[in-house]
Amino acid sequence: MGNKQTIFTAQQLDAYQDCTYFTRKEILRLFYRYRDLAPQLVPLDYTNHPDVKLPYELIGSMPELKDNPFRQRIAEVFSEDGEGNMTLDNFLDMFSVLSEMAPRDLKAYYAFKIYDFNNDDFICKSDLEKTLNKLTRNELTEDEVKMVCEKVIDEADLDNDGRLSLEDFQHMINRAPDFLSTFHIRI
Amino acid sequence: MTSYSNGGVFNPAYHDSETLEIDRRSSRKHQHTNPYARVDPAQWGHNVEPGDNGEWGAAGDGWTRRENVPMGLISTRLGSPPLQQNPNNTSQIDPDSQYDRLPPVQLHSSISGNMTMRWRGVTMRRMSMFPNADPAHAAFTEDAIKSEMENEEQNLIKELVALSTTEQIRKIRELPVSFEEKKHVRTQVTAFKSSGQYHHFTSLTDFSQNMSLSMRRFGYSIKSARQTLQLWQGIMKEIGGKFGSSVLNYFVLLKWLLLFNIFSFLVNFGFITIPLLVYDLSLNVSPNVSFRGLELLTGAGYFNYTIMYYGSYSNETIRGLLDYDMQLAYFFTISVYMVLCGLVLIFSMASSFKKNYALADPASNSAWQLLCSWDFSITNEKAVNQRKNNLRIQLKESLSEKAHRERQTTSEQLKQYGIYFGSWLLSTGLAAGCGASIFYLCHYEDERVEDTETWSALKEAETLLVPFVVSLMNMVIPLFFSLFNKFEQYSSQRKQIYALLFRNVLLRISILGVLCYYWMNTVPQKFTCWEPMVGQALYRLVIVDFIFLMLGSLFGEFLSNVIGTKIQPRLGVPEFDVARNVLEIIYAQTLAWIGIYFSPLLPVIQILKFFILFYLKKVSLTHNCQPPRRSGRAAQMKTIFIFLLFFPFFVGALSIVAYTSWRLTPSEQCGPFRGLNSTFSVTGEWIDHVNNNSSTHWVGWIYQNVIRSEIFYFLSTLIILVIIYIFWQLIQGRKQLIVLLRRQIINEGKDKSFLLEKLQNLQKSCPEVNKKHKKRTTHTSRRSAERSSGSQSNSNAMVQVLLARQQLEEEERRRASGVSVPSDISTSDAVTQAMLARQKAERQDENVYEITDGHPPSLDAVAQSLAARQRAEDRDEYWSTTHFNQSNPV
Repeated sequence: MGNKQTIFTAQQLDAYQDCTYFTRKEILRLFYRYRDLAPQLVPLDYTNHPDVKLPYELIGSMPELKDNPFRQRIAEVFSEDGEGNMTLDNFLDMFSVLSEMAPRDLKAYYAFKIYDFNNDDFICKSDLEKTLNKLTRNELTEDEVKMVCEKVIDEADLDNDGRLSLEDFQHMINRAPDFLSTFHIRI
Repeated sequence: MTSYSNGGVFNPAYHDSETLEIDRRSSRKHQHTNPYARVDPAQWGHNVEPGDNGEWGAAGDGWTRRENVPMGLISTRLGSPPLQQNPNNTSQIDPDSQYDRLPPVQLHSSISGNMTMRWRGVTMRRMSMFPNADPAHAAFTEDAIKSEMENEEQNLIKELVALSTTEQIRKIRELPVSFEEKKHVRTQVTAFKSSGQYHHFTSLTDFSQNMSLSMRRFGYSIKSARQTLQLWQGIMKEIGGKFGSSVLNYFVLLKWLLLFNIFSFLVNFGFITIPLLVYDLSLNVSPNVSFRGLELLTGAGYFNYTIMYYGSYSNETIRGLLDYDMQLAYFFTISVYMVLCGLVLIFSMASSFKKNYALADPASNSAWQLLCSWDFSITNEKAVNQRKNNLRIQLKESLSEKAHRERQTTSEQLKQYGIYFGSWLLSTGLAAGCGASIFYLCHYEDERVEDTETWSALKEAETLLVPFVVSLMNMVIPLFFSLFNKFEQYSSQRKQIYALLFRNVLLRISILGVLCYYWMNTVPQKFTCWEPMVGQALYRLVIVDFIFLMLGSLFGEFLSNVIGTKIQPRLGVPEFDVARNVLEIIYAQTLAWIGIYFSPLLPVIQILKFFILFYLKKVSLTHNCQPPRRSGRAAQMKTIFIFLLFFPFFVGALSIVAYTSWRLTPSEQCGPFRGLNSTFSVTGEWIDHVNNNSSTHWVGWIYQNVIRSEIFYFLSTLIILVIIYIFWQLIQGRKQLIVLLRRQIINEGKDKSFLLEKLQNLQKSCPEVNKKHKKRTTHTSRRSAERSSGSQSNSNAMVQVLLARQQLEEEERRRASGVSVPSDISTSDAVTQAMLARQKAERQDENVYEITDGHPPSLDAVAQSLAARQRAEDRDEYWSTTHFNQSNPV
């Protein structure tokens, strides 16, 4: 118990608990998970808020992420520098959004960002193609990829602008009840 | 931001800056590279930089030291008005007064509305406004973004402050921003809150805040403790990681049912068994009965005399400190448990329907498959590869499906319908045949069994025949159903699963129905003490079913794994059949529900059964099975399972228990209800007893006029029907509304593209103006867009872009023709000016087109408005810095 006191102050823990969906215990567990990625880099004392960032290579090697086809996108979206290098805060943020407790809208917002590979705030055909290739190991022919992407846009694009905006995406998510359980990483 | 986190001393900007605020702001601009990072977190994290131990410590100071330095420390950095301190420290600005400088339109907004949406809406709009900002104007954009952010943030904080603490936390958590930003908002809100109240009741607010903080901490620790108590979390994670959510659903359901049984055991044991044990510990086993071991299977013999069954419970009132009427206790415990179960099922079913069915849209299949079906929880490489394969196959299938359907000829279709008809006929016939054979089997057994106190071991073993046959049927017949399913080609996988499920349910229902008929009609006439006999029969069914489940996973899954890997690789490793396995546990639970009246301790057996089953299935799954090839919509399947659990099975069990207690005469010789006409009449006697006591007369009245009166039920049914009708009509109305709204969205989309086209044409027509004033235009329009009615549709923003542009051009034209810009420019701030300009533009936007195609307008108007804005900003900065200095007279 004395150990806990030295990692975070009570205020820090309060802030973490108020701003994420984790309890104190989970926060500490996540901290240790984070630290285990690079024990020599991450200090055991976070009370003075050390400036530590773990590179994407380490984050992406976590068992929870290492087989996920979207791992790089996830890390990019949640990291501050947009390149997948993460501070502890980013790390907690990521798993908070991906936790069971996070509401649908929040999850949808980040899922949208993950699928939006070129960061243009719309999921356009090229984004869909990238997603599809990631999900099927490039085994579909070009025509098939094209057809699927067209079908997706046709189905989900409400305002007929040929690409999916956040609103379109959310609308679709609202109709896909599985999303809550699939956009979820158990930690 | 982390580069600044070692405190101010190591911060290069700290040394460079005279006024921390302005310099810090500009020095950080270079960090703002990502268009998503709307807010430079560096600012937010460091609003408390003067504190000597970094932001955390200072934030802590904000909490504890707020009596001395309430807010000056906390947030001068952003110059955010809500938190500025008056120099004389007598303080507090009325929370609303800081907004006085802003035009009233600013407060239009949907303060009560969904602020997350609003915040995000603004974010998205902002992002789409500056998709790829021109580097030359980056500084300007930066500035614009910043000032807008400040406004937005202040609004947000103001809204948050108005909420209760729990709501606040919920909203803060829901903000789609990074942790740093959330923390900043949180600090601001806390600071603002304490500042707003501080003036009036110092100690009281302090106390209440401390209270709320400690309450919150207490709540968190309870949550933490609850998580520790959660059963099988690690196993669940492992299964979810390897097999995906649809298989996980089975285990979740199993765990849920286990909890049901644990609750039922606690209730029964606590209210029925313990009082009996306290009253009378001795077992009145007749001397010629001994424990043989076979009882564990049959539940007969020795067990018949234990508290396992209905027969051993007393009908007396236990006299002690309190009179404890065993009859009433037995009746009410069972009925309350059944009612509670029903309520829990109804609520979870309803919420599951609401979440998973009401909104589900079968039309968007590929969109769903591509964007929502990937299971992020899968962490196993093999599983990931398999999923990818499956997804590819599914996508291919869905592409070819359409073509396939079109190609079908009439004769093929007829053949298809023939197959459907045949397989439905066959499976219904099989189910009916099973029911009939069980019926004859029961009769056969009925003739052989006589009503004596002790049975020989052989006789006892013979009783296992019926449960054995029943379990065998339950195991073998579904295999036939799956076989039929292979021949039928349903157009969608879902139809196929539903057909399979329906047939299996039919089979189990018909078997259980026949058994119940036998228990309700034949057994009471034949045995003097009939309830324990039914209890025994149920016990045997539960046990034998358990044995068959174990054998099923051993032979079914293990053997086919061996065959699939060693002997016939063509067959492959078996899949885990979620539907079949779920039906098995639902059936097992139904047995326990029926048995609860006849054998109050049956839940113990059920708990053991489910507990072992959980581990068994887990081992069998991880060693023998592969993930299901087709990942159906797991959440919908889950809803279906809960529905099945409720509708035929729980309702069936409930009606059987109800029938027993209302209609059947309890045994004369044994059990708590001996000597009564029906179990339910126990309440009548109790009411009579209560009525003797005049002070509790109302209980009798309620009993007579509510419980036993037809009129009451008639009226309440009528009212409920009316309410249902009204709701149904409401739903119809909503459906129409949805259609209308959809149409509107499509129209808005068209509007948007039309306006965009117009804008592009305009830009083409006067490129030089665009180049010079693009940023200005965008900025103004964005500001006005912000003030727009909050509907946030993109097309609305586009209209604003056009309007603002027109306004600018209008201004330019006026300038050229000698009309002076209104004089209020120098006094009002930039915002008001923009508002006025917009209004002007709205008045005159008809003239615009003739202007644009004319001579290139002069630029003076723009220059002047820029100057005005500059002035306004200077004043702003002055304002914040002076305040900073005043509140910290160092």
